[in-house]
Amino acid sequence: MKKFNVFVLACLLFGLIAAPSLFAANVTLTIWGRDIPDDSADHLYVRDLIAGFQAKYPDIKIDYVALGDPGLMDKTKITMASGSGLPDIFQTWGGSVMGGYADAGNLFDLTAELKSVPGSLAAQQAMTWKGKIYGVAPFFAVAGIFANEGIFKTYNLKVPTTIEEFDKVCDTLLSKGVQPFACGEKDKWPALALYMYLTNRYGGDASAQASARKLAYNSDPFIKAAQLYQNWIKKGYFGATPLGEGYGDAQQLMATGKAAMHITGSWMCAQYSNPEFTDQTLGFYAFPTFKSGGVGTAADIMGMTDIGFAATKVAASKKDAVVKFMKYAMSVEACQSDPGRICSVPGVKAKSSLTAQASAVFASAKTVTFWWDQDLPPSVTSPLNDTIQSFFLPEADVKKALTSFEALCIENMGPVKK
Amino acid sequence: MAKVVPADTVRLAAKKRVPRREPGRTLFIFFCILPALLFLAVFLYYPIVETFRISQMKTSGLSDEVFVGLDNYRKLFADEEFLAGLRHVFSWAFWSIVIQLPLSFFIAFGLTYYSNRMSNTLRAIFYLANILPSAITAMLGKMVFAPNYGILVTIGKVLGWKWLASADFLGNPKFAFWSVFIIATWAYSGFYIIYFMARMEQIPRDLREAAELDGASALRYAWSIVLPDLNYAIRICAVLCTVGSLKLFDLPYLMTTGGPGYATSTLGISLYRHGFINWNYGKAAAIGVVIFILSLVFTILQFTFGKRKDE
Repeated sequence: MKKFNVFVLACLLFGLIAAPSLFAANVTLTIWGRDIPDDSADHLYVRDLIAGFQAKYPDIKIDYVALGDPGLMDKTKITMASGSGLPDIFQTWGGSVMGGYADAGNLFDLTAELKSVPGSLAAQQAMTWKGKIYGVAPFFAVAGIFANEGIFKTYNLKVPTTIEEFDKVCDTLLSKGVQPFACGEKDKWPALALYMYLTNRYGGDASAQASARKLAYNSDPFIKAAQLYQNWIKKGYFGATPLGEGYGDAQQLMATGKAAMHITGSWMCAQYSNPEFTDQTLGFYAFPTFKSGGVGTAADIMGMTDIGFAATKVAASKKDAVVKFMKYAMSVEACQSDPGRICSVPGVKAKSSLTAQASAVFASAKTVTFWWDQDLPPSVTSPLNDTIQSFFLPEADVKKALTSFEALCIENMGPVKK
Repeated sequence: MAKVVPADTVRLAAKKRVPRREPGRTLFIFFCILPALLFLAVFLYYPIVETFRISQMKTSGLSDEVFVGLDNYRKLFADEEFLAGLRHVFSWAFWSIVIQLPLSFFIAFGLTYYSNRMSNTLRAIFYLANILPSAITAMLGKMVFAPNYGILVTIGKVLGWKWLASADFLGNPKFAFWSVFIIATWAYSGFYIIYFMARMEQIPRDLREAAELDGASALRYAWSIVLPDLNYAIRICAVLCTVGSLKLFDLPYLMTTGGPGYATSTLGISLYRHGFINWNYGKAAAIGVVIFILSLVFTILQFTFGKRKDE
């Protein structure tokens, strides 16, 4: 009896020690993301993505690390530079930043596995570098005009359908004590979307030509767009203190009905349609074109990945698990919990009318220009935002500012090829 | 009668008194300091040497390094952001010494000279700002100076002062530097106050009583007795001000991200942006070297200058 008891105890002990390892996940995927997977509306996709994937594939353990912003970008950059301590997957907007990592040989080519995953072409292009696909972009963002429908109705105005109409609409709004545009330029990047649109409307694919060094950044379309921008700033269309307000302040101006329009990315759809955030009714509109003399069309859209994931070279040994994750990230099941982003996966319905309007703008796009500050070489992106911020200084000479920027581009991207 | 001893005998005796070098003892001392030496070598001296090396390279951190000699330094002195940062850290250091140190001295003197039940509470209140994390200090600073909802703007609205109600302290290049500096003065002075107070409390009570008997006023006592006694402490604080200004990053970055334009940019912000945003490690390392050399030069200068005065 005594021997039997000892045997039973030994079995129990073995079971206690061995059981966890027997039932443990076979593979662990380390993922670096931006958002904490909590109940906040903005984070629902990431929360459900991890929980859903874990439930569907219990043999693959997810080790998700939320690094915030700019923590994610800084840590990824440092790790990529050293080449060690890389995660298997990291969140990225794609473009030239991801391309830099790919050029350094730190990313894992998943072209064969991901090229047939259903999704928008623009989203796939954002995660493609030099013909190779390194990840997926389940959500895409486009820039457009968030307009306060109530304000426009009260003052019997219509959201401009041509750029020429902006002056009339903005002057009327100003005379009624309403700030025409919310911006938040203290943070330096928020003014970019409008400048990109104006440049496109003046010069069509001028930005693509400039990045290919076929056109200078101080050429006509860039200067004209900057001059018009500065003219609007001087007229007070962006309020009296545009450089003192951050992006959060701009959102508050819209949420409280103090500003009539906000030209920004569709990632704001969830917040602007959340009754707890604002009691105003907003609409999303495509950026207009010039009635005469312009080149760009309304189907030329500015935007880029909203949420994307790319795989690093260390994921090569876990290829199956990584591909499963990427495909799951692009599934209707994973994407449907997001309340406001434009989903690049077919079959996911927009949760709000704002998202539906933004999705329609995205669907109408014939060309999508990626955010310059994500798509140009990193050596010129922060000076680009500095240059655009300088338009907000009334005494600034935009021509001179763009010429300085062009000089920097020559140094980092080469001279314009005739 | 005094005994006369030959000089050679004295020299020999002195020689005998010198302890013999023991190899075991030397080895023991060496092993005792070895961990600290290794730590310093790996985490301090090696990075400094490496920074000097990288500052002569053109590299994004991801690409191969290309030797460019002093080209990064040459480019720095044509870089608007770097030059603005350099100007700002010198201004910051100058105004810190001219404003923060005298202010701290007078507060510390007031709290020590007119010491009463409130002194300890006031000391804690003044020091509180210094122990707050920079993020909180910056947030409070924004609350004071923000347009639309900031405390100053709200006061302007309440009083009907249009110029104050519409002021853009953080967004106007003319005001932004000073707005950040005011918050920094509030945040950093607490440390100097505590430091000065600690030194003032060590001045013998007799000196003050003697001065009072001679009819010296509080100001006279501060000028003639306290200030000379705090000479070394003030010099230390001036060095801390200067070196701190050269490394300045957190408050300006959190309050204005160095803007508008480069109105509040510093060498630290410039280094961060070149290294982590613009992916230009070589240039960032060159800025690091400039900060290192300037810190070293100013520290040596301030101590040498102070020493001569003492002598």
